[in-house]
Amino acid sequence: MRRALAGSLLALAVAAAACGAEPEQESAGGKEIEVLYKVEPTWPHLEKMLGDAKKQYESTHPGVTIKLTPVQGNNEAYYTKLALLNRSADSAPDLYYHDTFQVNADVAAGKLAPLDDLLATWPDWQAQFPDSVKQAAKGGDGKIYGVPISTDTRGLWYHKDVFAKAGLPVPWEPKTWNDVLTAARTIKQKAPGVIPFSMYSTKIHGEAATMQGFEMLLYGTPGGTLYDDAQKKWVAGGKNFTDALTFVNTVYREELGPKLADAHNAKLAQKILYEWFPAAKLGIALDGAWVSAGWTPTSTQPWPEWKDKIGWTPMPTQNGEAPGAVSMSGGWVMAMSSYTKHKREAFDFITVATNKDNSMTYSVGTGDLAARKDVAADPKYSAENPSIKFWTDLASVTHYRPAYEAYPKVSAQIQEAMEAVTSGSKSPEEAAADYAKALPGVVGGADKVLAR
Amino acid sequence: MTVTTTAPSPRVTGSPVRRPSRRGVLRWLVPLGPALLLMAIFMAGPILWNVYIAFTNETLTGSASVNSQFVGVANFVRLFGDANFLNSFALTFVFVIGSAVIGQNTLGLIIALLQRGRGRVTRSVVNGVVIAAWVVPEVVAAVCWFSFLAEEGTLNTVLGLSQEWLYTAPMVAVVLANIWRGTAFSMLVYSAALSEVPADLVEAAAVDGAGPWRRLLHVTLPLIRRSIMANLMLITLQTLASFGLIYALTGGGPGTASQTTPLYMYEQAFRYFEIGYGSAIALVMLVIGALFSLVYLRLIKVEDVA
Repeated sequence: MRRALAGSLLALAVAAAACGAEPEQESAGGKEIEVLYKVEPTWPHLEKMLGDAKKQYESTHPGVTIKLTPVQGNNEAYYTKLALLNRSADSAPDLYYHDTFQVNADVAAGKLAPLDDLLATWPDWQAQFPDSVKQAAKGGDGKIYGVPISTDTRGLWYHKDVFAKAGLPVPWEPKTWNDVLTAARTIKQKAPGVIPFSMYSTKIHGEAATMQGFEMLLYGTPGGTLYDDAQKKWVAGGKNFTDALTFVNTVYREELGPKLADAHNAKLAQKILYEWFPAAKLGIALDGAWVSAGWTPTSTQPWPEWKDKIGWTPMPTQNGEAPGAVSMSGGWVMAMSSYTKHKREAFDFITVATNKDNSMTYSVGTGDLAARKDVAADPKYSAENPSIKFWTDLASVTHYRPAYEAYPKVSAQIQEAMEAVTSGSKSPEEAAADYAKALPGVVGGADKVLAR
Repeated sequence: MTVTTTAPSPRVTGSPVRRPSRRGVLRWLVPLGPALLLMAIFMAGPILWNVYIAFTNETLTGSASVNSQFVGVANFVRLFGDANFLNSFALTFVFVIGSAVIGQNTLGLIIALLQRGRGRVTRSVVNGVVIAAWVVPEVVAAVCWFSFLAEEGTLNTVLGLSQEWLYTAPMVAVVLANIWRGTAFSMLVYSAALSEVPADLVEAAAVDGAGPWRRLLHVTLPLIRRSIMANLMLITLQTLASFGLIYALTGGGPGTASQTTPLYMYEQAFRYFEIGYGSAIALVMLVIGALFSLVYLRLIKVEDVA
């Protein structure tokens, strides 16, 4: 019996050892930097940029290997995967592609490494990154936590043929929300079979619904904001909030938007890009600067005619209030984990990945606006894209999200409200009231909320 | 090796109970030890951790992820006042009753009954088709049903309709898909159980003038009742925790129209990063699963005594 006991214990010890032993990744003398990023079949641009950067980096940094770890899927899947990997120092990637609105939550959790000291050693940071862009990943403590890869703006894309058919003027220059809705109503009337207006307004589209949809409306109302900077409080509902929801409500109740099934479809963006616009089945889309990248020769479904068929115009403010137009900007950065053992080597990879050539590859591929001055000034950057100047100039009216720690949760509440209004299960007033009710729990107490 | 027997315990009527000696304990504990330890580490451990986390405000990121605090029953108070949770709870109930207790269970029994006495070819073909649905991975099953129910899908093409089924009837879609996928399990359980029903009993009932319906009701079903209970318990627990199929088919949507509790739990824990709140939901699910098992186990016991 004693022998049996010893045998079992031995077996157990072996099993435990097998479980506990971690495969040591770093071979003798070699260092490995793991880079986490996102890839989708229709969105291979980042992978290409990082693949190029890996080759360049490894040829000049012997002994350091770059391990590229892709996450397949949309932004929401990527956020989740990253947050889970970041739970432990063992699984956290050294570097990662990071959405700016998530940065402050991760700074609060101590997961990101401040880069200020390293940035001071990099001449490009001073020479090539405009001050406004440098703020993209600034923490609440004033330190910089990421190097911007791209930025963006948002506005309206419209189909010129549809407008001609509906008897609407081209170029189209709406001055108020009403102008936009009137155009949509005209399209519905005069061009049957065409979806007049599309926007993201359901939870499945995540942050796209909040930012491309709701905030493009809210920040266009007089004084409309999610966060009061002066009082440092989150704004609970109010008239601006309800008005923005009312716009969404009008779109769906008057059937000016896509069918509800499409509004809830995860592939709505692909439908807009590859089906509806090329087939002249869509009039107006409230979307981002990057949309036309889906039609370039390097895309999966090129549509060269877009340059003649598609127009672009700023999203107007509610009643034409100054400055007359509204835009929202976000963007992605390359961030460094606070757990990384090789800060210098990791930072060097960031500088290679965001050098001029690689930034160019990314910006031309994705249609996102370049973060670097030398890329923006290069004729190659705008050669294939006649809309790029327009989107870049929108920076003069753009707003940034209050990307504080609580923002991702606030965003989730906004998506709830929008979806309820989209499906018609709540009126704009009810949805705004529910938002105001939920807000204190989300931002950490009633003292952080400004009642409206 | 001495074996001591103790007197029958006064609580138990009838058969004497043999209390094992220390040696006796070692005899079963030693070979079981490794398995028990592994279970403790990989099953009890996570469950205990889950119980602990459910009483904190732990999140995946943000300041609460580094210094989470004990918040008592706050998560549970919030849970039972949360309209979305109550909605998910009702949907889970519909899903379990509709797809498992009624759908898979009844359909599996019917197929197993119809197969009795059929030729080998028929049985192989039917078994093959039904089991094929069971062996495909959840996601593949979901994709099959998606392409069947989509707007340009098979169903609409055959019927000549233009109906977005996954939007207009999401619960019906997921219930049907789960019946399609899970029936094989019940069918196999019942096939095995039915083969144990003595043919002479059924024949005797027939000779006594019992029609097919009466034979089923009064001879066959009572004989396989324990298999029925065991099957119900297994498929209930499986369906209660079902996640992949619904997630891949409707994502819980549109809105929350097919968001069963596991999907709601996932959304809270991994999309909104509220791991403490998600764990509280998981704990409630665990208790519900345990309650279901207790009820079924009790029913089996009652049957045994009767």
